[in-house]
Amino acid sequence: MEGLAAVALAIALAGLGFWNLVVRRNLIWKLLGLNVAASGAILFLVALAHRPGARPPIVGLGPGPSADPLPHALVLTAIVIDFATLALALVYVIFLTEHRHTQDVERLERDEERGWPQP
Amino acid sequence: MRVLAALSLLGLMALLALGVSGVFPRPPVPPTEDVAAEWGAENVVAAIVLGVRLWDTLFEILIYAMTMVGVKLGLRLLRWEHAVPPVRETPLLRRSADLLLGPIVVFALYIAVSGHLGPGGGFPAGAILGTALLLLALAKGVERLSAEIHEPSLEWVEYGAIVAILAVAGGLLVMGHRGSGYLIAVNVLIALEVGIGAWVVLHRFASSRGEV
Repeated sequence: MEGLAAVALAIALAGLGFWNLVVRRNLIWKLLGLNVAASGAILFLVALAHRPGARPPIVGLGPGPSADPLPHALVLTAIVIDFATLALALVYVIFLTEHRHTQDVERLERDEERGWPQP
Repeated sequence: MRVLAALSLLGLMALLALGVSGVFPRPPVPPTEDVAAEWGAENVVAAIVLGVRLWDTLFEILIYAMTMVGVKLGLRLLRWEHAVPPVRETPLLRRSADLLLGPIVVFALYIAVSGHLGPGGGFPAGAILGTALLLLALAKGVERLSAEIHEPSLEWVEYGAIVAILAVAGGLLVMGHRGSGYLIAVNVLIALEVGIGAWVVLHRFASSRGEV
């Protein structure tokens, strides 16, 4: 089975990212974990596109079977949307930090139950 | 709670490993030369992104533009009391920016124009263009560069690029035109849109905190 190292790295990255996403209390750490998990998903898709002895999906680049071009097209979408949503989420984190002076999720939830302190 | 998270995480990783373990055989790739030739491309990924799945790419561009607008309006709502300190210039950075700016922009243009023939395309070209603008911002200071390149008209260029992409995509999807020229046009317009959008995000974040 070829491409085993890429698949193993992709699964490890996704696991690491989701672990940080679930366990960490800081919102910035959560966003970083989400980004690492997205990197793992992207690497996983690229590894899925691999075929034994395949060439890149460009016409006239030598003999042999072509790698699957469809996951590559999906990856292009994933990278751009990942960047855009990360930027927007960071804006929301800046808002929270300015108005509530914390990035701790549990403290935010506690404040929510008690009612927000008046500024 | 942590035990539950760890268990579900291990389950997820096991599912991913099961997907590639050979239980589900991967189908052989059908011959793609015909698809590429029909859309006027040699890079099959470009033929898929800009041809077969053009609707997907259009909505991706729309989502990207909407997120850029969200970042711009969201950070505008925050009023910052403290003044932004200017970034101190170093001669090394300015000289290297002088040296590197031309090759970076030319490479971005090359990647955008030849995206239908080889590795490349509009999105990487836009990212490279944004990197060139970031290098200039590091060398000159963000606010000075923003005033020099006249950012409001740059944003009009971005919105115009989106409208032009929609027009060309209408030609491709509705009128049924095919050919390499359309792919080159869409790639260059996407590069403009992504590069300017990346610059808008960089500028807003930098001017909110005063650091690049």
